[in-house]
Amino acid sequence: MIEKFREINSSFPQTSYVKEHKSSGKKVIGWLCTYVPEEIIHAAGALPVRITGYQQEQELDDGTAYLYVNNCSFSRSCLQLALRGEYDFLDGVVGGSTCDGVRRLFDLWRKYIGTDFHQILSIPRKFTESAHELYLSQVTQFKQHLEEFIGAPITDEALVKSIELYNETRALLKQLYDLRKSDNPPITGSEVLEVLEAGFRMPKEAFNQLLGELIDVLSKSNAENKGRARLAVVGSVLTNAEFIKSIEEQGGLVVTDELCTSTRYWSDPVVLDEGKTPLEAIARRYLNNFPCARMYPSDERFDRIIQLIRDFRVEGVVSQIIRYCVPYAHDLPLLIKKLDAINVPVLALDVEYGSSGSGQIATRVQAFLEMLEARK
Amino acid sequence: MMDGSSNKIEAIIRACSVITRMNKALPDVPESKNMYYKMLTDYFTRVQRAKEEGNFLAAHTVFFPTEILYAMDIVPMHTETTTWMIALFTGEATELVTAGAEIGLASEICTPHRGIAGAFSLKNALPQPDAIVWSNLICDNTAKSGELIAELSGSPGYFLDHPFQESQQERKYLIGELKGMIDFLEHQSGKKMNWDKLSEIVAFMDRQIELFREICELRKAVPTPFSPLGFMDLLTMDYFFPGQPEAIEYLETVRDELKAKIAAGKGAVDNERFRLMSLFVPPMYLMGFLEKLSHEYGAVSVTEPFFTHWGEGKLDPNKPLESVAQKAYMIPEVQMYGPMNDTKIQRVADLAEEYKVDGAVYYADTGCRHTCALIKLVKDTLSDVDIPMLTLDSDVVDPTMTSEEETREKFEGFFELLEDY
Amino acid sequence: MKALGIDIGSLTTKVVILDGNAIVSSSVVDSDDEAEVGARQAIAQALGQTEFSLDGNYYVVSTGARGKSISLNKKHKSITSCLARGIHHLFPSARMGIDIGAETGLVYKMNERGKLKDWATHDKCAAGTGVFVKQMAKLMQISMEEMSQLSFDAKTRPEISGTCAVFAESEVISHVHRDPPTPMADIAAGIYYSIVSRLMALCKRVGIEKDVVVTGGVALNKGLINILEQELGFKVLVPDTAQSIAALGAAIIAQEQIEKGA
Repeated sequence: MIEKFREINSSFPQTSYVKEHKSSGKKVIGWLCTYVPEEIIHAAGALPVRITGYQQEQELDDGTAYLYVNNCSFSRSCLQLALRGEYDFLDGVVGGSTCDGVRRLFDLWRKYIGTDFHQILSIPRKFTESAHELYLSQVTQFKQHLEEFIGAPITDEALVKSIELYNETRALLKQLYDLRKSDNPPITGSEVLEVLEAGFRMPKEAFNQLLGELIDVLSKSNAENKGRARLAVVGSVLTNAEFIKSIEEQGGLVVTDELCTSTRYWSDPVVLDEGKTPLEAIARRYLNNFPCARMYPSDERFDRIIQLIRDFRVEGVVSQIIRYCVPYAHDLPLLIKKLDAINVPVLALDVEYGSSGSGQIATRVQAFLEMLEARK
Repeated sequence: MMDGSSNKIEAIIRACSVITRMNKALPDVPESKNMYYKMLTDYFTRVQRAKEEGNFLAAHTVFFPTEILYAMDIVPMHTETTTWMIALFTGEATELVTAGAEIGLASEICTPHRGIAGAFSLKNALPQPDAIVWSNLICDNTAKSGELIAELSGSPGYFLDHPFQESQQERKYLIGELKGMIDFLEHQSGKKMNWDKLSEIVAFMDRQIELFREICELRKAVPTPFSPLGFMDLLTMDYFFPGQPEAIEYLETVRDELKAKIAAGKGAVDNERFRLMSLFVPPMYLMGFLEKLSHEYGAVSVTEPFFTHWGEGKLDPNKPLESVAQKAYMIPEVQMYGPMNDTKIQRVADLAEEYKVDGAVYYADTGCRHTCALIKLVKDTLSDVDIPMLTLDSDVVDPTMTSEEETREKFEGFFELLEDY
Repeated sequence: MKALGIDIGSLTTKVVILDGNAIVSSSVVDSDDEAEVGARQAIAQALGQTEFSLDGNYYVVSTGARGKSISLNKKHKSITSCLARGIHHLFPSARMGIDIGAETGLVYKMNERGKLKDWATHDKCAAGTGVFVKQMAKLMQISMEEMSQLSFDAKTRPEISGTCAVFAESEVISHVHRDPPTPMADIAAGIYYSIVSRLMALCKRVGIEKDVVVTGGVALNKGLINILEQELGFKVLVPDTAQSIAALGAAIIAQEQIEKGA
C-alpha cells in the first residue's frame, strides 16, 4: 500500500499528477509554509503544490551563491531547485513573511526565477483579534489577486467545497495518527512522512481516496512496530523520511511529531459556523493552527507539544533544528526547560535540510535511546 | 542565574570617560566627538542609576519606538547596541557570547543576541530591567530574543508585532500594537503616557531626520568632509536618542563642522582616493583598525544605503502615535525589511552614482542572515553600474571571526583592484 | 633594470625574475621562520642560476601572507592581484582563476588585460581545501594518488556534507562501514564533489566566465579536476608551474613599474 505513495514521490517535484493537471490547461500554484491557505488555491481550480527543497541533503552551490552560506539549507535547497529549472512548471508562487530565510528566498525568487504570479502574505506573529483582522485582509487580498490571475471569481460555494475536502484530509490524517497511539503501531513514522509527502503534490481528491484505503488496510492488518522507546520528532521543516527511518532502524519508535510537514500541517480543521464567511473561517484556522516557533507567545506551541506527549505517551523528544533556523534555535532552551519540568528528555540535533540522519547523528540517537531505556 | 560578572555598564561609562579625557588632551578633536561621548556617558549613567533614582528601566530591541518610552519618562536600555558598545569599549563581549552559548543558544544565533541573552544570564552584568519590550524589526532574532531574556531576567515583557508590509490594514495593526504596549507600560510602571510630550518628541524626531538628510547631502562633496566610519556614531542617535534635544544639538554641530570643512576645501582624510559605499555593520572590535586603514589609504565611506538614508515621509506632531508608526517605516534599516522590490534595490545603484562611489564594502556578518541573503542581489545591482564590491566575512561582536591581518589583506587587495579599475 | 617577484607563503618562498617579458630565472625554497632570511635565500638561489647579482638593479615586488615584512621590496601586492596577472601572462584567454591551496580556496576574475576584477574566498572552514583532501584520504587509508585514480571509476556520488569537515569525517566513516560498504571509488567521488560544490558556490558568486585556470597544490589532483570539469561543463587549464604563479604575477607588476619609470 505504501508503495503507491512511494511511486508518486518517485517523480519529484513534478509528479504525474502535476503533469496531468497541467496538460489539461489548468494552473499549478506553488505554496511554501503552512500559513498559506491551500483551500483558496484549490477553490480557484488550480493545483496547490508545496514548494520544498531536494528530497535529500544536497550540495547547495547555487543556493549558497545566491542566499549566502548563513541562510538555512532549506531556503537554499528550494532556491537551487528553482534555479535549476525544476520548478519551471509552476504558474505562481505564494509565500508568507514567516521567517527571514523564506522572505529572502522569495525576494530572490522574484528577481532570478520570476514566476508569473507572485504573492507574499504578511503573517502577524500574534493570535490577537487585531492580528486575525490583519491576516484576514491579507488572505482576502490574496484571493482577489488570484482571481485576477486565473480570470474567474472564487465563489463562496467553491470555497466551502474546498474546505470540506481539506477537512476530510485532516480527519483522515488524524485517524492515521490515532493508529500510532497504540503500543505497537501498524505504520512507522517514516512511512507516515512518505504518505504526507505524496499529498503535497497531488489533488486532495485522489489523496483522500488513497489515504482512506491505507487506513482500511492498516486497521485490519496485524502489522506491529515495536521499539525501545516512544519518540516524538520536533523542530524545523523535515521532508526526508530517511531521517525518521534511521531513528527507527536503531529501535526508536517514532509515534508523533510537531513538524510543519506533518502534525502542524493537518492538525486543526476549518470550522464553518454561522455568521462567518468561508474566507473568515479559513483565515481563523490558519492563524490559530498549531503554531510555528515564529509565533508569540511560544507557550502556545509548547503547550501543544506537551499535549502531544501525553496523547501519544511519548518518552523522549528528538529536536532536529536546521542550522540557521533561528525561530526554533531560539526556542530550544525554553522548550528543554518546559519538557524537563514534565520529565521528558530532549535530544537536540543540529542538522542540514534533507539530512538522512546517518553518521554522527545516528550515534547520538543511539546514545539517547540507551539513556531512555536506562530510565525505565 | 549563573555566576556573577563585572558590571558591563560601568565598564562602558569608564571607557567613555577615558576617551573624553584623552580627547581633551588632543588638538583638533571636533566638538561633536566630545558631545558624542558625553551623550553616551549620560545614557549609560541613566541606565546604571535607574534603580537608585527610582526610575522605571525598560530594555528594548533595535529599531524600537523608543519615543514612547521617553514620552512616558521611562529609561530605555537598547539591548543589541549595548552588546556592541561592550565589544567596542570594553573588549568583554566574548564573555557574554560564551554565556549565551552556555544557556543553550546555537552558534547560528547572531552574537549581539547571543551576547545579550548571555548578559542577562550572568548576575550583575547588566542592571535588572523593570520590563522587556521588543519587536520583530528587523529579523527573527529580534522577534525571538525578547521572550528569552524576559524569562532569563524574570522581567515582564511586551512583544510589539511589526507588520511585514505597508498596507492600510497593517498600519492600523501597528498602531494597535503601539497602544497595547502603552497600556502594558502604564500598567507596569504606574506612569501615564504624556501625549504632549510625545508630540514634542515627534516634532524633534522629524527635525532629527531632516538633519540626517542634510548631513547625507553634505557628504556628497569631493573630498567628503565626513569621517571615514563616522556613520556608526550617527546610527547611535536614532538607536539611543530619538526625538531628544541633545541629538538635535549633536547633529547640528556635525552639520556645521562639515560645512566648515567643505568651505575650507578640506576632506575627512588627507588624500581621498577611494569613495566607498558601506553595507551593513563593520566589526566593532576592528573599528580603530579600520579607521587607521582608512587614513592610510584615503578610503572613506561616503554612503550607506540601508543605514543612513531615511525613507520618504514626514512626521506630524498633531498625530503623534500615527507618526511613531510612520517613522518605523522610514527608518533606514527598515528599507531592507519587507519585500525587497526593484525600487528599493535600484536605490543602491542610484546612491552609488549620486555619491560618486568607487567601490562597495559588504560586511557579511556571519550571524546576520537577512542581510547576507542580499549580497548577491546588491552585487549584481552594483555590477550593472560598474561598481566592484568587496564582501568581508566578519562578525559584529566576536573578535575570533576576523583578524586585523586578514582584514588588511582583503582591503589592500580591494584597493589594488579599485586602482586598476 | 630587472623585475623580481617574490611570494613568501607560510610553507614555501618562490622567486621569479623577468627580463622584459622573458622569465630568466626562478626558485622555490622552504620558508624560513624569518621571512627576510627565506627571501634572501630564495633570491640568492634564483640569482645563482644567472649572471646577475643582487647589486644589479632590481625592482622587487613581494606578495604572499608574509611578503610584507621584508625590507628588499619596493612594493607589496595582494596575492589575488598577483595570481590574476601571472595567469594572464600564461593564458591570455583566462578570465577566471581558481586557487586551491592547503588551507584556502580562492576564486578570482580578471579582465582582458589581466587586471583583477573580482574575487571570493572560502568562509572559514577546513572543508573544501587541500588539508581536507589529505584528511579524507587518510581516513580511507589510501594515498591521495590512489584516491584520485579511484574516483574515475565512481558509479554514483554519495552524499558527503560539504558544510563541515567534522561532519564529513563521520559521514565518510559511515560509508566505509555500511553493510554493504559504499564502493571506495564512489566515496572518493563524493568527497571531491563536496569540495567542488563549495568551489562552485564561490564561482557562482562572482559569475562563471571562460577560460578557467586552476592553480594551487590541489590543481594536480586529476580526480578532483575531472569532477570540477563535469560541474563546470567545460575543460579547465592547469599550468605546469602552478606553484610560482603569484611570484610570476609579482614580477610582472614589477616589470610594469619599471616600464612606467617608477
